[in-house]
Amino acid sequence: DKLAVLQTLASTVNRDPTAAHYMFQDDPFLMPRNAGNSRLFSLSKESGRNAAKYIIKQFPQYFDKIFAEPNIPCLMPEALTPQIEGVSEEALKERINLRRVKDSVDLFDQLVQAGTPVSLETTNSLLDLLCFYGDGESTPEKQEGQKEDLEEPGRYLLLSSLTFSLFVDYRENNNAERIFKIMPERNAHSYCTMIRGMVKHGASAKAYDMYMDLLNERHKADVHTFNALITAVPYLKERFLERWELAKVFLNHMVQQGVQPNLLTFNALLKTLRRCGGVGRSMSLLVMKEMEALDIEPSLATYDHLLFIFYRGVDLCPPGIILEVLDDVEKRSFTPQDPDDANFFATAMQACCDLKDIKLAYRLNKAMEKGDNWKFLDMDRLNAYWSKFFSLLCMMEQIDVVLKWYKEMSLSVFYPTPKNILDLLQALDAANHLEVIPSVWEDMKQLGFSRRQDLLEELLSLMSREQHPEEIQLAFAKCADDIKAVHEQTGREQAPLEWTGSVLCHVTLLFSRVGRTQDAWNMMERFQQINRIPTEQVMDEFLNCAKQTNCSDEAIKLVKLAASLGLPSSQRLKSRTEKEFELSEKQKKTLESIKSDSDSSDSDSDSDSD
Amino acid sequence: MVLRRVKKDGFEYIATLQRVKKVGFEDIACRKEESGKVCGSLKEFPEDSVDKHHFYLLEPLVWEQWLDVCPFCTTALRRVKKGGFEDVATSTRRRGRAPQFIRSHVPPRTERMAVDQDWSSVYPTAAAFKPASVPLPIRMGYPVKRGVPPPKEGNLELIKIPNFLHLTPPAIKKHCAALKDFCTEWPSALDSDEKCEQHFPIEIETVDYVSAGTSIRNPKARVVTLRVKLSNLNLDDHAKKKLIKLVGERYCKDTDVLNITTDRCPLRRQNYDYGIHLLTVLYHESWKTEMWESEKTEEDMEEYIWENSCSQKNAVETLLRIKASENVSNVTKEELLASEVVKNYRNSVIALKNEGETENTMSQYKESVKKLLNIQALP
Repeated sequence: DKLAVLQTLASTVNRDPTAAHYMFQDDPFLMPRNAGNSRLFSLSKESGRNAAKYIIKQFPQYFDKIFAEPNIPCLMPEALTPQIEGVSEEALKERINLRRVKDSVDLFDQLVQAGTPVSLETTNSLLDLLCFYGDGESTPEKQEGQKEDLEEPGRYLLLSSLTFSLFVDYRENNNAERIFKIMPERNAHSYCTMIRGMVKHGASAKAYDMYMDLLNERHKADVHTFNALITAVPYLKERFLERWELAKVFLNHMVQQGVQPNLLTFNALLKTLRRCGGVGRSMSLLVMKEMEALDIEPSLATYDHLLFIFYRGVDLCPPGIILEVLDDVEKRSFTPQDPDDANFFATAMQACCDLKDIKLAYRLNKAMEKGDNWKFLDMDRLNAYWSKFFSLLCMMEQIDVVLKWYKEMSLSVFYPTPKNILDLLQALDAANHLEVIPSVWEDMKQLGFSRRQDLLEELLSLMSREQHPEEIQLAFAKCADDIKAVHEQTGREQAPLEWTGSVLCHVTLLFSRVGRTQDAWNMMERFQQINRIPTEQVMDEFLNCAKQTNCSDEAIKLVKLAASLGLPSSQRLKSRTEKEFELSEKQKKTLESIKSDSDSSDSDSDSDSD
Repeated sequence: MVLRRVKKDGFEYIATLQRVKKVGFEDIACRKEESGKVCGSLKEFPEDSVDKHHFYLLEPLVWEQWLDVCPFCTTALRRVKKGGFEDVATSTRRRGRAPQFIRSHVPPRTERMAVDQDWSSVYPTAAAFKPASVPLPIRMGYPVKRGVPPPKEGNLELIKIPNFLHLTPPAIKKHCAALKDFCTEWPSALDSDEKCEQHFPIEIETVDYVSAGTSIRNPKARVVTLRVKLSNLNLDDHAKKKLIKLVGERYCKDTDVLNITTDRCPLRRQNYDYGIHLLTVLYHESWKTEMWESEKTEEDMEEYIWENSCSQKNAVETLLRIKASENVSNVTKEELLASEVVKNYRNSVIALKNEGETENTMSQYKESVKKLLNIQALP
């Protein structure tokens, strides 16, 4: 094995807990900062690669010089121009091999018009080509003409288990149907290809009709056709029981025609059962038993469908099913056998979160790290998986375990979502570990969440709830400073964030508690700008702060403000100021004058109420 | 702190909160971020304080590189463009090179690295030096005037040179432990150097080259070096001398090692075969004696041989004459040659010629001549 030495050396290396994924440049300005960024960067890398491949394919004449010594054939452009000219069956075969859909159709038409008989095999392979690629070309740039027909954006959703819409791009009177109709003789293969193509492109009813034709002609369908038909069942019938009955019909036909089901058959069956509601729940276990009886190893897609059937409903089932599933998944390392395999881990983690079971989540995580199983999670799914896992951890685990996972995994394997940050803050609150909050704020800034109102409110309310020892208070005040800067920035890119009343209250409190009287007073002045009133607590704290720093001017200004706003507590504040501060004569006079204002306003209101 | 050049002869450092006068080139301001005040004037700092040191070092660094933060006291630096008044303490305008979209400062990931992290995971393979990933405060390069070498951020010198951050001793230990499974046991019979030499006297040295590029070939890889000790070859005296004459410079007298380096063929295997062929030919040729070798003259000799040399002739003649003048009966040449004094003389002459003139050999010669000619030491 040529790679054995490299693989052994690679086994000595572990994961680096501070680095981003290895595909990104390892530079602080070029690393992705949050989930959106990482998705964007990885997609742009991939699109760059695709663009390069496209250029090489389109202009192979510029890439004929061989630089590498020795030559690497797979990097050189392939010669994809058809060699055989003229109208003949060999030419048609060649174009089919090169996947040139339009050319092959044209050539076929020419052959038919010229009267040359085209053999059944070639026609079948032409049908295969057409059904696989739909009616369009295999290369995307020639599809511009066809895209105009599909105007609704919803139709671009791909067939996936997350959304239920099928990519419907089946057009009437397309080439495949036409060729099928003019074929002098058809065998089972022709029918099967047509059925599979129709199901792939969304014409389920037509596929069913074609199947009926096949039965009438006494042909036998193959296992792939049956798989396609079973996949199309949810689009043929509406009610759950009817769907199941139809699927059973197909299965019986399989038995009659002696077709052996394979893994994909059962996966298709379970996928149909996903959309059968309660019927699904009762029948899926029977399906699993059949699989065991036929000695077919379930793949991850099987388990994904199972978990979805049982754990995505409104009422939660007991964890028996998921325990059995985990037992099996833990034991082995899976290879991809079905496109839906990739969704397993996300669904399983969602189920663990719904059941609120942390031990299951740990087992699932271990299973994911075993062998090749981690390869099933790409960037998107990885982030979703880890963010669910982290939410569960925050809910259920001790704070030091949570912080350990956070330090190791966040910003390198996954990027916390706003919900994750909220969960983390709540966990810190529950464990009374509020001194970690400034570092969480740093991470928030890096992730780009520093403008989210909900996170800011949560953060500030936690910081300002109680009095804390000195250094922590200073750190909190620094965070408050940053938050103030966010609200005030003379942005070239973004408008400054609007102040809200509670945010302003909290910031003022934090400034007051560390004795930054001037800053706190600046904050107080903003209350009027946004038409809000500071709470009692804020004003009391401010007075305390002013007392500590001996700023009696500020105290008087506060009383003036309170009086002008007509607050009921202004009297109390005034008396406090008089008692606790050492006022000069001038200040005492000013204080007196304020009193008269408030009195007059009171008398006015009295007269109004009369 | 505002630095201002007043006259051409020297710098004068002034700190004011007021306007900066237009002087003719750029001024620099160092503003403390927390309080919004500027650093004090130079006069305020005591003679040997660190901050005064900062001022002297600050200016050239800011001239040479655009620094955001004073690297010594971590206060923010700002360049104030020449011309025009600018109120240093309160102005927030950034003139000159302020970019349109400023990315907020991202802390490098060295700050989040644990002290006991696994370094071989950070640098598993040979990679360029990444200043944000290596938590070492390295400086490299020619120092700026009256300053220090530039720091590691954006330092091309550090990136150009090859580094061995991926081969720290713990990493090598891990690699060796992992590769042990691929290795066979060292044969237990070969447990010392002498035994290795005895069983495998010829050493072959070849070099493999790996580089990142379009081609895996390297012309230097064809060179093959053969090394063998002549004591391991079966040579008699004549053969050894002839071999040494044939190879010339390739033989090292001190270590008795013959080095043959071949690179005349394009492939390594061919060069190896050629080297072995050369060794075989030399060996066989040195054992043969050609006819013309008998014409070897005294200049071709490698070492001095006393027999049949003029020294022998002279010594014998002199002794014969002495004996004749003393009227002793005819003694034969052989008796003379076999006598003690002549033998002594012979040894000392040989030593003198072969080993060169040292204290030892000279004194030995003196003694032997005295004995030969029966001379007493001078009083």
